[in-house]
Amino acid sequence: MRKYVLRRLVLAIPVLLLSSVIVFGLMRVMPGDALIALMGESGNIGERELAHVRRQLRLDLPYHEQYGLWLWQLVTLRPGDSIFTGEPITVSLGKAIPVTLELAALALLLGLVIAVPIGVISATRQDSAPDYVGRVVAVSGLSLPDFWLATLVITFAALWFHWIPPIGYTSLWESPLRNLQQFLLPAAVLGFRLSAATMRMTRSTVLEVLREDYVRTAWAKGLAGRIVVYKHALKNALIPVVTIVGGQLGVLLAGTFVVESIFALPGMGRLTVEAILYRDYPVVQTNVMLVAITLVTLNLLVDVSYAWLDPRIRYR
Amino acid sequence: MSAVIPRVATLPEQPAAEKVSRARQLWEAARRKPLGAVSAALIVVLVLTALFADVLAPYDPLAPQPDIRLSAPSREHPFGTDDIGRDVFSRIIHGARISLWVGLLAVGIGTAAGMLIGLVCGYCEGRVDMILQRFMDAVQAIPGLVLALAIVSVLRPNTTNAMIAIAIVIIPGNSRIVRGAVLSAKQHHYVEAAQAIGCRHPRIIAGHILPNVTAPILIIASIWLGNAILIEATLSFLGVGTQPPTPSWGLMLSSTGRAFMEQAPWLAIFPGLAISLAVLAFNLFGDTLRDAWDPKLRNRS
Repeated sequence: MRKYVLRRLVLAIPVLLLSSVIVFGLMRVMPGDALIALMGESGNIGERELAHVRRQLRLDLPYHEQYGLWLWQLVTLRPGDSIFTGEPITVSLGKAIPVTLELAALALLLGLVIAVPIGVISATRQDSAPDYVGRVVAVSGLSLPDFWLATLVITFAALWFHWIPPIGYTSLWESPLRNLQQFLLPAAVLGFRLSAATMRMTRSTVLEVLREDYVRTAWAKGLAGRIVVYKHALKNALIPVVTIVGGQLGVLLAGTFVVESIFALPGMGRLTVEAILYRDYPVVQTNVMLVAITLVTLNLLVDVSYAWLDPRIRYR
Repeated sequence: MSAVIPRVATLPEQPAAEKVSRARQLWEAARRKPLGAVSAALIVVLVLTALFADVLAPYDPLAPQPDIRLSAPSREHPFGTDDIGRDVFSRIIHGARISLWVGLLAVGIGTAAGMLIGLVCGYCEGRVDMILQRFMDAVQAIPGLVLALAIVSVLRPNTTNAMIAIAIVIIPGNSRIVRGAVLSAKQHHYVEAAQAIGCRHPRIIAGHILPNVTAPILIIASIWLGNAILIEATLSFLGVGTQPPTPSWGLMLSSTGRAFMEQAPWLAIFPGLAISLAVLAFNLFGDTLRDAWDPKLRNRS
């Protein structure tokens, strides 16, 4: 097991280094001076700040030195300041990351709470009305754009219930109720989108497992249906579901970008989208790289947990 | 030889002599799965709408009529009007153009580039394959939407650049699928035979490997079309894709749809419905293609 983890770690490092080259290269497609001139043109910053920014970003250095410097800044966790607000990137990230983490965790939880029971019901009552309803919900979850769903949810909550989620962000420790009010709708929108694929996977794996011999044995020895399904079948059916959930972490992260912007939650996604709109590229490159690192790490964790659940994987 | 080829080219349950064409397989699948036929019909409607937008749209999508601003759906304006009195129905019809155009070009470029890389990787293997695939891993480490956002932030936000960004997002996944298909096609005896009689590489690739790769490419492309439309809408929604006043579904949703959602919910409902239907149609159609041509792909994508 330790060997497997080590091998995967060693493989992840070059991928991340290449990602950093891509992100860095992307940000330098346009010569730095042109980029900065563009920022000045859009009226975001004045001439004096421009000179300051040029110095601060070390655009006078050759590309490989700029890249080395940026990598060193990332590794030492000092990625510099935002051009637009002047705030150190670590400070704004420190504020934004907990918001996104809470949103993602809630969405993941809601997604599973929706997906697993419906998937199981869909499988145990194959080709019945509840099954069809479940499958239609799953397909629509894959096709409805999350930004549309979010817009509709806000609109109809306001129209029908005259309720608008409190604007801004209150931390969980400050006022748990207000915090929950702010997070419930965005998390539900994201969770619904996540639940689609999970639901489909749960349904098909439960269907498969229900046909296994040991499940037939469980039925034959007279166990109650509930126990057969939830204790015997579901346990094994959930293993592939873990990978599906893991594979969706990218969808989840990208989803937070959109949903945070709509619900005005000051998380990573909103921070990055705003940085992109203002061409605040130290922030953009740091955030995008951070997302890549998170995703690669999470995928690694998912693979390792999968290998732990199913030891056969380690030998592939 | 003659005993080998038919067995490879037909479905296992078919008698070896009877070759089943792809069109026939698709027809059979459409009969078994009516949803696939419905999605194909939806796509045809979408394409016709985009082609004949000028004829179909009852009003000019850009012409404001301030005296009827924010009017509810009626017989004259079936989807209502927006904040400066433009007809939403006409704007949605014209929006189909942007969505399809961006989708087709992005998927075309992304698929072609992905296919090329996949062919090179799968055919050459070895070091080239190793390096190119790690590069693809690195691109894939960044979620598609985030990568597209980053690309658009460097270029200027407009429809063309959104399209380029989407194309780049498509490349890695496509290259991987094509690579896999090429690797398995190389196992066939007739490829080995072609190598043995001294065929040149381009001839082996074009004559023996490509025909095996077209099905997965078409399947992935049709699924990606839906995604490309979704990403374009998302980018426009976030303000870094198509710019006003061009009617793009995502943009309509974000600019007027959100600002006036309480007075005029139709501004948010119809563009979103258009996006969902288009994406749903391509997803279902891709599913049907996959079931008809290559059921093995089901768990891979």
